[in-house]
Amino acid sequence: MHRALRAVAGGVVGTLVLGFFLLVLDTQARGALSVAGVVARFLGVPGRPVLAVALFVALAVVGWPALFVAVEEYLPFGPDPAARGVVFAAVIGIVFVVVGRGAISGPILVLYVGFAMLAHLAYGFALGSVYGRLAR
Amino acid sequence: MIGGGVVLAVLGVLLVALGTQFLRTKGWSALARPDGGYLPGGETGVQHEEKQAGLLRWLTTVDHKDIGILYLVFGTVAALWGGTEAMMMRTELLTPQADVWTAATYNGLFTTHGITMLFFFATPVFFGIGNYFLPLLLDADDMAFPRINAIGFWMLPPALLLARAGLPADALGKILSTVGIHIPILDVLHPPETGWTLYAPLSIQTTNPQVDLLLLGLHLSGIATTLGAINFIVTVVAERGEGVGWDNVDIFSWTMLSTSGVVLFAFPLLGSAVIMMLLDRNFGTTFYLVEGGGPILWQHLFWFFGHPEVYIIFLPATGLVSTILPKFSGRRLFGFRFIVYSTLAIGVLSFGVWAHHMFTTGIDPRVRASFMFVSLAIAVPSAVKVFNWLSTMYDGRIRLTAPMILSVGSVGTFIIGGVTGVFLAAIPIDLIYHDTQYVVGHFHFIIMGIIAMMMLAASYYWYPIITGRMYDQRLARLQAALTIAGVPVTFGSMLVMGALGLPRRYADYPTQFATLQQVASVGAFVIGVGALLWLWNMVQSYRVGPRVRDADVWNLKESGQFTREWQWFEEQLDERYAADGGETDD
Repeated sequence: MHRALRAVAGGVVGTLVLGFFLLVLDTQARGALSVAGVVARFLGVPGRPVLAVALFVALAVVGWPALFVAVEEYLPFGPDPAARGVVFAAVIGIVFVVVGRGAISGPILVLYVGFAMLAHLAYGFALGSVYGRLAR
Repeated sequence: MIGGGVVLAVLGVLLVALGTQFLRTKGWSALARPDGGYLPGGETGVQHEEKQAGLLRWLTTVDHKDIGILYLVFGTVAALWGGTEAMMMRTELLTPQADVWTAATYNGLFTTHGITMLFFFATPVFFGIGNYFLPLLLDADDMAFPRINAIGFWMLPPALLLARAGLPADALGKILSTVGIHIPILDVLHPPETGWTLYAPLSIQTTNPQVDLLLLGLHLSGIATTLGAINFIVTVVAERGEGVGWDNVDIFSWTMLSTSGVVLFAFPLLGSAVIMMLLDRNFGTTFYLVEGGGPILWQHLFWFFGHPEVYIIFLPATGLVSTILPKFSGRRLFGFRFIVYSTLAIGVLSFGVWAHHMFTTGIDPRVRASFMFVSLAIAVPSAVKVFNWLSTMYDGRIRLTAPMILSVGSVGTFIIGGVTGVFLAAIPIDLIYHDTQYVVGHFHFIIMGIIAMMMLAASYYWYPIITGRMYDQRLARLQAALTIAGVPVTFGSMLVMGALGLPRRYADYPTQFATLQQVASVGAFVIGVGALLWLWNMVQSYRVGPRVRDADVWNLKESGQFTREWQWFEEQLDERYAADGGETDD
């Protein structure tokens, strides 16, 4: 399979995982924070959560995997693409957490940072492992 | 700016890639690991040819090893779910005010945390370990009733879903509402706020229909556990191999046998009790109403199940200490027979201590006194175990592998958990400490301090047998150390707060406890990070860990402790590598 297709397949699985974790965060937060709002701030379209979620899905399915394919061999912890995917997504996760934070503060910040990072690490792992597995 | 975060993220990724390249040109190879194991794929296909492939294999399996793995995966999922709730509780308690969530949400959190961890994490994980290893240890072909075994497991996922329907209903409702679909039932199922003990009359008066689903879920999980227990008992009694007499049944099988015996008497009673509560809630019966049996009847029935349940999950953990500790001490288990006797004694005595949960309810003082004596007495067989474990290590050749670190840590934290429990068994002290954080600290020293820690130890000890690969041992030792450090920090703080009079089950608390609460939360987050490291190590090593070629992973032959499960593993390896001439790496 062509590696662009492999990456998109990884992106689809990764997005499902990412979406699951973010949905859990949103549900567990019981209205104390809105993940759609965080995504909107991250993407620079505050106040338009539906558009933001649509853009975010597109980015996670196609955008990030494309970038991953481009930089994969330069990333540390190879040759396993899953480990590289985790590093890749960790960087994105840090930016996501910082830029998307908005006014989230106090104790819930701990949960927000922990869960959003975990969601991205899981995304990277899924992206990389599917990408690698389809190479066989 | 549109896409500001995206641009930053792209720049960040590029920076890391460039940085890595730069370090490589400087000859720093630590980031690129040429010997980082083997990539997955190219399985030899020798081992499971007779089984269905893919998903169908896992849905239809009656092989004890596969069912064991299903139990373990299920237990891990439940642990992560319940663990998330623990992290949320500790987040809420960072500040004295209930300012993260409402007090009602906090009530939901400690209720579901308790239920998930006890019914869907601890019990299934030990059943998983038992399922995988008991037949190997006993030289049996399989469990006595393989199909009942599968049924027992497959009742658990629906049981979990019923018991925990509040959260998935919430999430589903959220998703559907974004596309304009509104299903009213999804809005009314909230996590129950009754506490895991479901005390009457609160649990009967609560209108939340999720309580009914929870009761049904508990009933189902009770049936599942009872089926599993029957299977273990018959397997140990009737399925042992020719060379395995009662005189050389191993210690873990003994503890699983005892645990199963306790399950057999405890869980059916829970089933009856929850059905009566269901009838009280929905059909106007009066089992637990003042006009009928009274609310105290629920407490008697619940704790007649509930306290043995503590030993149901404690005994297998002690069995694991008794199994693993001698292997890394280079000595045989000291006083094997007395450990077996103490296990049986705990199993029997566990049914005579339940009312120590009810010292403050106003029950007859003479009844209270008798329960105090039995509660104090049950410390004796536990102490026998500790003495024997310490004697096993004494003058031994200690090897600090990850499973050994966790075993030694378990003995240490169990001593604190046990001794604080002896204090609670004394009526005058219990009257003061009842319903304080002291109680929470006490039982978490046991639940986290020996039960969860020995599960981790077992996962490290037997990982090569289950996966055929080895894990990252350095990471495992780090994880063990983090967990052992996190337990006293978290639960020690709770002991202190409870001794100072802070009640449990409150989302807000007086400001003078803020520092201790924050210390406890930091400890809990350390345990949480440890759990994630464990998960990473297990998953990643399963994918790319180095393959095990020599079954004597822990040098057990040297000390004559190469037990049956390892001998079985050796045969498997011989078969596998004889089939491909030892040429296939992967």
